[in-house]
Amino acid sequence: MTQTLDVHQGVSQLDRAPTTAAPKAATAEISRAGIFAIAFGISFMLLYTVFERLNWPFFTYHPAVGKLDFWMQRPRSGEGPPMYWYGWLVLSGMTAVVVSAIATLLPRPWLYRATLFSCVLAALWPALLAAGTFVADQVSFDAELLKSIWLSGIVALVAAAAISYLASAQWVQRMWVSWLWIVPVGGLIVLGYSLKTYFVR
Amino acid sequence: MDAITDVFFDYVPVRTFWRVLLFAHFAVAAALLAATTLQSVAVLMPVRQAAGNFVSRVRAAPAASYVKPITILYVLNFLIGSWVYVKYRTYVRIPMEQLSHWWTVGTFEFKEHVMTMGIALLPAYWYFWRQPLTEQYATTRKWLVVFLAFSVWYAFLIGHVANDFRGVGA
Repeated sequence: MTQTLDVHQGVSQLDRAPTTAAPKAATAEISRAGIFAIAFGISFMLLYTVFERLNWPFFTYHPAVGKLDFWMQRPRSGEGPPMYWYGWLVLSGMTAVVVSAIATLLPRPWLYRATLFSCVLAALWPALLAAGTFVADQVSFDAELLKSIWLSGIVALVAAAAISYLASAQWVQRMWVSWLWIVPVGGLIVLGYSLKTYFVR
Repeated sequence: MDAITDVFFDYVPVRTFWRVLLFAHFAVAAALLAATTLQSVAVLMPVRQAAGNFVSRVRAAPAASYVKPITILYVLNFLIGSWVYVKYRTYVRIPMEQLSHWWTVGTFEFKEHVMTMGIALLPAYWYFWRQPLTEQYATTRKWLVVFLAFSVWYAFLIGHVANDFRGVGA
């Protein structure tokens, strides 16, 4: 038992040494590779959610006949079910690479605020549209305007711009890495909700 | 994709080919499940020193040592899964819908989104687990490990249900 403890103590210390013995690294800036990796994660997840909801695949694959069509193609008679998932992946991947490359070139304060703006816009737009649709269905007078995707889009755009402008620099910087867990949770809530038709039949 | 499968079909019967591929998907998933679970335990319940039973030894394992195998296995299984997915769409999902197994279809649809989020996080996961580990991002590292473990567990369980409907041994 004593021998086992010694061996594992050694391994354990080796594992934890860099964390405690690197005070310089603890305050180190995120490298360009890190900026790319983080921006890629955030933008990919955000864009994937948007492209899936809008049904914008880069291509449509028809597995029954092994055919590939550019952009979105509805099912055609005799060609079996179409698959969009590959197309969403490719479009999200390509756009996320471009967004991440741009992110590495931006000054950090701009990058933090641009990320906040994109994430708030992505959350507010569908939320306002859903709220507007709900209100329009409840009230007795004609409120069809509230169901407009463009009206909710403009309001969301203004609100996102205001929030990202007014937020403090420290908070925006602190939040930046946190989008890595906020975006997938939010994205999965939206995507999960969109699948509700399967669970209420 | 069809061109690749056609080459295999010259040597292996179609049915056997897809079964082998599905089994490979399962085998890699099982390895990935073990790695992500062990890393989660090491990250969520760390101990300085291993002593006593199996669980406390697992808790003391160096969490960073799992990063490379998890990254490789995750990408590999994502690719195999993407390939098998073609067969699922035509051979499994259609009868599922015909027999009104809507919960199975819905949860499997959600699986593709969960795994997509997981693969998108891999570059950041790799970056934050590079040595030397900075204390500043310990929470981020923990969150990434937990999310990847969740995605693998969810995909494994839902994939198993779909396999039971129409797959190897079903």
